[in-house]
Amino acid sequence: MHRRQFIMFGLASGAALATGVSLYPLAVADQTERDDAASLVLDAILPALLLGALPQDQALRESALLQTRQAALDFLPFLPKRTQAELSQLFLLLSQQLTRLALTGHLVAMAELSVSQRLQLLESWRTSYLTVLQQAFNGLRALLMGAFYGQPQQWQALGYQPPEFRPYE
Amino acid sequence: MNDPIKQGLASGWKHFDAASFTDDQQFETDVVIIGTGAGGGMAAEILTQAGLSVIMLEHGALHSSSDFRQQERWAYPHLYQDGAARKTKDQAIAILQGRTVGGSTTVNWTTSIRTPKPTLDYWRSEFDLDFSGEHSLDPYFAKAAGRLHISEWQVPPNANNEALRRGCQQLGWKYTVIERNVHGCANLGYCGMGCPLNAKQSMLVTTIPAALQSGATLISRISARQLLWQGDQVTGLLAVPVDPHYQPDPRLSIRIKAKHYIVAGGAINSPALLLRSKVPNPSGRLGKHTYLHPSVISGALFDEPIQGHMGAPQSIYSDQFVWPNNSDIGFKLEVPPVHPVLMASTLTGMAQFHADMMRQFNQLQVMIALLRDGFDPQAQGGQVQLDGDGEPVLDYPLTDYLWQGVQKAYLAMAELQFAAGARAVMPVHQDATLYSSWQQTKAAIANLPLARYRAALASAHVMGGCNMAANANKGVVDGYGRHHQLENLSVFDGSVLPTSLGANPQLTLYGLIWRNSQALVARLVG
Repeated sequence: MHRRQFIMFGLASGAALATGVSLYPLAVADQTERDDAASLVLDAILPALLLGALPQDQALRESALLQTRQAALDFLPFLPKRTQAELSQLFLLLSQQLTRLALTGHLVAMAELSVSQRLQLLESWRTSYLTVLQQAFNGLRALLMGAFYGQPQQWQALGYQPPEFRPYE
Repeated sequence: MNDPIKQGLASGWKHFDAASFTDDQQFETDVVIIGTGAGGGMAAEILTQAGLSVIMLEHGALHSSSDFRQQERWAYPHLYQDGAARKTKDQAIAILQGRTVGGSTTVNWTTSIRTPKPTLDYWRSEFDLDFSGEHSLDPYFAKAAGRLHISEWQVPPNANNEALRRGCQQLGWKYTVIERNVHGCANLGYCGMGCPLNAKQSMLVTTIPAALQSGATLISRISARQLLWQGDQVTGLLAVPVDPHYQPDPRLSIRIKAKHYIVAGGAINSPALLLRSKVPNPSGRLGKHTYLHPSVISGALFDEPIQGHMGAPQSIYSDQFVWPNNSDIGFKLEVPPVHPVLMASTLTGMAQFHADMMRQFNQLQVMIALLRDGFDPQAQGGQVQLDGDGEPVLDYPLTDYLWQGVQKAYLAMAELQFAAGARAVMPVHQDATLYSSWQQTKAAIANLPLARYRAALASAHVMGGCNMAANANKGVVDGYGRHHQLENLSVFDGSVLPTSLGANPQLTLYGLIWRNSQALVARLVG
C-alpha cells in the first residue's frame, strides 16, 4: 500500500471478488503489504464487531483491541495455506483505496467512518446476496470473536474462570 | 503432577520429533501406522504386543498432561486440525477434529456408545457386512470397555446436561445416561482441551504408552505424503516433517518401508493420502460418501446458573428422534461444553447483541442435534478433494432433505429447552433472535431461511470416504479394513464406516479396530 488511507469496500469490489477479478493481484503484494492490509482491516472491523463487549476504560479498551488483533494474526498461520491465501486476498481487497463505499456512494476513508457506519457495513456483508461476503463475514466474525474471548482479561465479564493447576506460559 | 508421557520418555521410549530432523531419514519396520487416534492407537498396542515391530506416525505434536492448561487459545491451534477452524469447502460446516498424539481421542468429550443395531442392519442390507451372531462386535466392545474404563457416568449431570434430561422427562421423551471412558475423573469439564489429570482414557494415556513400553516407535510432527505401490503391493511411504504451524515442510524427506501399511489418519486425511497416492479405485468410492453428523445448535437462557463449562461435557443424550418411523432424517440430541471461544465463535450476531448474550454466559444452555446422514439417497455425504497443495478439502452439499432435518431439529430442541424451564430460546441462526415462548419460537423457526451461512452448522464426527463393503464394487476396503486391491494395506479409522453411525463414533472404532487388528495379527504372525 502506497497510501495508508483505508477506504471501505463496496459492492463493486465485492462483485470483483466474487468473479475472481482481483483489483490488486495477490502476487504483487509482498509479506509486509499483506500484514499491513490484515492489520488495517482488523483495526477497522474490531471496534464495531466488539461494540458492547470492549472495556469502557479507554486504556483497557485500546489494549484489548491490540491484543485481539495480535491473537488473530498469530492464529492465521495455523490455517491451511489455501485459506491463508484467500484471507490475504480478502484483506488486500478490503483495504483497497479505489473502491466505493456502498453505503454512501462516496469514497470515504475508514478512519472517517463512525462505529455505527462500520457496523452497517458488516451488516451489509452478513446479509449480502454474494456468497463471498457472507463467507467473509462468518469467517472474520468467528476468528475475531475467538481472538477476543480467548483472552483471560475478558473472562471476568463472563464470570468464567478455568481451574488452574499449572500457570499458562 | 504425574505425567506418564514425560516419565515414559525419560525411561527411554522411542520417540522422534520429525520437526527436529536435519537430514533425510529412512526407517524400516513390520507395520507402519499412519495416525494415532482411536484406530491407530488401538492397533498399535495390539500389533506391538503380538511381537510385531511398529512405527506410529502423527501429524500433530506429542503433547501431554503437563501441556494441557484449560486454555482454548492454546488448545485449538495445537490439538485440532487447522487450529479447530477446519471447514467444508463452501465453509458452511465447521469441523472439530483432533490433530495431536491420540488424535481426536485426546480432545473428545468421552461419550462411548456401541454401534446402534439399525446401523448394523443397514450395513448388512446395503454393504453385505455381517456383524451378527459369531461376527458380533459385542465381545470387542466389552474388551474396549475394560481396557478404557468405559462405564456409565455415576456423577449427577452438570446443569447443561440436566436441562436435556429434565426436558425429556417433562415431554416423555427417551433419554440415556452416557457411558464415558474415564478413570479418576474430577468432573472438570475441560475434556476438549486435553485432560490435565490423565483421567480421560484416551489413546494418549492408554494404548500408545503401552505400545511404546513394548518397544514401538512414535514419530510426531510428520506428514505422510504418498504411498508408493506396484501391482498389489505397497512398497514404501514418503513423508515430510511439519513446521511449527503444522504445515507440511518439504525441506527433507522421510522414507518408511514396512511389511504392512495401516492408514488411520481420520476420514478426511486418510482418503486424501490415498488420493495423493493414486491407489487403485475401481469402485470409484475413494474419498466419496464422507459423513459428518451435521449438527444444528440451539441456545437457551435460564434464570438459574447453567455454567456449561463445568462438569462432564456430555452425560445425557436423547435418541427420541434418531430413528423416525418415516423417511425423514433422524437426529440425536446432546449438549456441548460451553467455553468462551467455542461459544463466542459459534453464537450468531455481533456487537451489542452478541456482547449481551456473552454476558449471560453462565445462564446459557446449549443443545446440539446430530443429523444421521448416509441412510437416504438425499444424504449421501460429501467428497474429499485435493487442493493445489495436495491438502484435503471436503465438499459437502447440503440437500433439501438435510435442511428439513435442520428445521425439525430446531423445533425439537426449542420445545425441549422450554419444557426444561428456559426463559428464552435462540436457534443458532443468523436470522434468529431470542424468543420468550415455545409458540413464538415455533412460528419464528417456520420462517428461518434454510440456507448455508444462515444456520450455524458444526461437526465433531467425520466418517466414511474409504468405506468397507464385502464386495469390491461397493467399497474401498473389506469388512476387516483390508484394501480390496492392495494386499498389504489396511485402513483402520472412521473412514471405513459406510454411513454415519447415529451415535458418537469412538467406541465403534475401538471395537471394530480391535477385531480387525487381531485378524491382521493372525495374518502377519500366524
